[in-house]
Amino acid sequence: MTEYRLLAETLDSVANERGKLAKIERLAETLGRLTGEELAVAARLLSGSPFAEWEQAVTSVGWVTIAKAAAEVTGWDLETIGACATAIGDLGEAVGLLRTDAPPEASGPTVLEVDAWLRDLAKERKAAGKQAALAGMLRRSSPVEGKYLVKTLSGGLRIGADVTTIEEAIAQAFGADREAVARARRDCGDIGETAVAAREGRLAEIRFRLFHPIGFMLATPIEVAEEVASELPLFAVEDKYDGIRAHAHKSDGRVALFSRTLDDVTSQFPEIASALVTLPGSFLLDGEVLAWRDGRPDSFFRLQRRLGRKAPEPEVLAEIPVAFMAYDCLAREGHPLFEEAWTERRRELEAISPDGALRVSPVFRVETPAELDRLFDEARERGNEGLMLKRVDSTYQAGKRGRAWRKYKKALATLDVVVTAVQQGNGKRAGMLSDYTFAVKDGDRFVNIGKAYSGLTDEEIRRMGTVFRKITVGRYGPVRAVEPQVVLEVSFDSIQKSTRHKSGFALRFPRIVRLRPDKTAAEADTLETVAERYAKIAGQ
Amino acid sequence: MATDELLAPFLETRPEGLYCPAFDAAIDPPAAAARAIVSHAHSDHAAPGHEEVWATPETIALYRRRNPDWTGRAREIRYGERLERHGVTLELHPAGHILGSAQIFFEREGRSLLFTGDFKRRLSRTAVPAAAPQAEILVTETTFGLPVFRFPPREEIEARLVAACRRAFEEEKTPILLAYGLGKSQEIALSLAQAGIPTVLHGAAWKLLPEFEAAGHSFPLSRAYESGPAKPGEALVVPPNCARTPVVRNVKRRRIVYLSGWATREASRADFDADVLLPMSDHADFPELLQHVSDVAPRRVVTLHGYARDFARILATRGTPAEPLPSGTERPAREDAEEQEET
Repeated sequence: MTEYRLLAETLDSVANERGKLAKIERLAETLGRLTGEELAVAARLLSGSPFAEWEQAVTSVGWVTIAKAAAEVTGWDLETIGACATAIGDLGEAVGLLRTDAPPEASGPTVLEVDAWLRDLAKERKAAGKQAALAGMLRRSSPVEGKYLVKTLSGGLRIGADVTTIEEAIAQAFGADREAVARARRDCGDIGETAVAAREGRLAEIRFRLFHPIGFMLATPIEVAEEVASELPLFAVEDKYDGIRAHAHKSDGRVALFSRTLDDVTSQFPEIASALVTLPGSFLLDGEVLAWRDGRPDSFFRLQRRLGRKAPEPEVLAEIPVAFMAYDCLAREGHPLFEEAWTERRRELEAISPDGALRVSPVFRVETPAELDRLFDEARERGNEGLMLKRVDSTYQAGKRGRAWRKYKKALATLDVVVTAVQQGNGKRAGMLSDYTFAVKDGDRFVNIGKAYSGLTDEEIRRMGTVFRKITVGRYGPVRAVEPQVVLEVSFDSIQKSTRHKSGFALRFPRIVRLRPDKTAAEADTLETVAERYAKIAGQ
Repeated sequence: MATDELLAPFLETRPEGLYCPAFDAAIDPPAAAARAIVSHAHSDHAAPGHEEVWATPETIALYRRRNPDWTGRAREIRYGERLERHGVTLELHPAGHILGSAQIFFEREGRSLLFTGDFKRRLSRTAVPAAAPQAEILVTETTFGLPVFRFPPREEIEARLVAACRRAFEEEKTPILLAYGLGKSQEIALSLAQAGIPTVLHGAAWKLLPEFEAAGHSFPLSRAYESGPAKPGEALVVPPNCARTPVVRNVKRRRIVYLSGWATREASRADFDADVLLPMSDHADFPELLQHVSDVAPRRVVTLHGYARDFARILATRGTPAEPLPSGTERPAREDAEEQEET
């Protein structure tokens, strides 16, 4: 019986090592000591995911539930727990630090007990039940165990190791090939099963399975067509659709749609599921969910009204119909096609439904940057965002951003905005004031229009943090309101109406282009400018 | 104002900070003042340019060293010496924070107030251990006023520090110890010397050694960074704000240790590019703050710096009425108090 303590201590030692090799070493050492079901559970827990990806199970224990359980166990009131979590920057760390009355030795849970406990949490519907289960477990646990149990529930171990690090540790622990481990995990959707197979030398026996989320291949942007001039003949070009990227799995009578966030969104798009289910055979497609009207893609703003509804009402279904535009085929009839070239995958895609029942994105070929730019304008006229360029000889690199796929979408003109509030970031930027809320001018006041997380270097963020601390005018939990004086130049993909911000507008995908220390808040763009730009976009 | 009634007749809150009417003196004023009573020599408490400074002899010596062009008047007050004006007596008690640090105790006709300045109750090598005189009103710092902040005893921290240096040497790396220059750097130099590990001190710490030597400490295993970069077997001690400067960057094989109460937060690893986090602090941790309140046994507590609001609330729920000093009279200490000390 292996105790969870081993895993918690391993995670802590991984967090305390800076080098990737040392992290892999620590993980491999622990994995190498385990076998069977314990190994499977340990591999999942060390990668921060309580369940196999294919299980699609979630513990759904919210921040407040965790804080209440921590309050119950530590004796501190909720407000203090919240202040501690903010001060430390991580709820799990704070809970660990607040456990001063360590439980008796050997009362801690075993690895398998933690697994069963997590599964019970996923099944428990009521928050009170989850809270009681968590409090019970925390009472049995040492500070370091409690710390990582809470981190597991709150969605982020923050130990500087991701699932690829665990894959490498599995490879090292059991003398397996790294690529083979990664492939096996992708094919079966379970790092646990992968670890056991690696230990037993059975990685090659893992067969591709449908119905678990798989990472999306991502594209690197190009700014101007000339950037790819020499490669152009090697690229297949498609319109870049302004919808929701999704993987569609289909086999027998079953269809599942997974979003970029690896969530199952099938129930949100019933008409897509019922259209795909009638197609012959089994397959895994990469494509785009689009609002659809008059035989062509409709705007993203309309699609947005379909989002977040688990089961859309009939009126919404009728008002905003959606369609699936397929552009890649990653598996067919039980055979994975990830390692096939794009050309071959495209052939498989087109073969699924020769009668046109499956909507497949048109492909163009161009020779020169000028032709690419002409195609770009045509794509925009068709209501699409821009172009995608895909190397015809490239394999599908799930979950990776590479140069085999490029996206070409020319940002709109930038806006100069003023920062009104800042917040600590997460992950790598935890503890840094890296999230900025910004505003445009409306007469003599500033109205918020968006929030951006990236675009500045760590150094710039750190420097700005000092500035923002000095001009803080109020604190609301983790958010600091600041005097409106720092000007940023932001680019964005579009402008939309929004009730979230006071301005009544929101920028889509805002990115910080640069700081504008040369500008004062008085020189920021105005709400009027934003409204004009919006009118142009909406009228397109 | 309600807080002023509590503080009367000893202290008043003014826009520029706390002020003592009986002695016509500002307490740790953040800007140059006509007369300042200075609790200790850290720059966020000892602003340059005062016309008159009242402080312990050690604090005044450190103040002079850091402000060589200072032309003001100094009034040395030894621990235990009592001054009286307008019926108010003033006495400085050791604060245990750094060399020369003092708590300021006021008394008149049976009423009393203790202003802690920065303090700690754990023992250190260079600060006289903190006293805890009983007082009716306690004005306490609360830099680390939340229960997540519990710092290990000095012996444990020193053992971990020595272990971190030895591991660096084994890996043929230079240990780079990020610690502010007045107090912590000298503590580190002394404890590493005891383990036989020589230190190279950044100028910020090196220039203050005469004041520590005058207090009876010696630094035979320390040398100045100006005399050359760290050689194998030597540990480099620099202020945290050097973490991203060439002083640190030019050391290709390095193991960075961040020594601060804020090292409790694992996020500080990224802030300082640190390999090792050691919660070594010259401030009271949460249990010490509670201990101090219990020993001073005040009727009411006023909190300032850091988690003033939270600590006051926690105290109140435990039966001691407490309130944070109204904002505006509190300097923006929070997370940067220790780190910015040398800027």
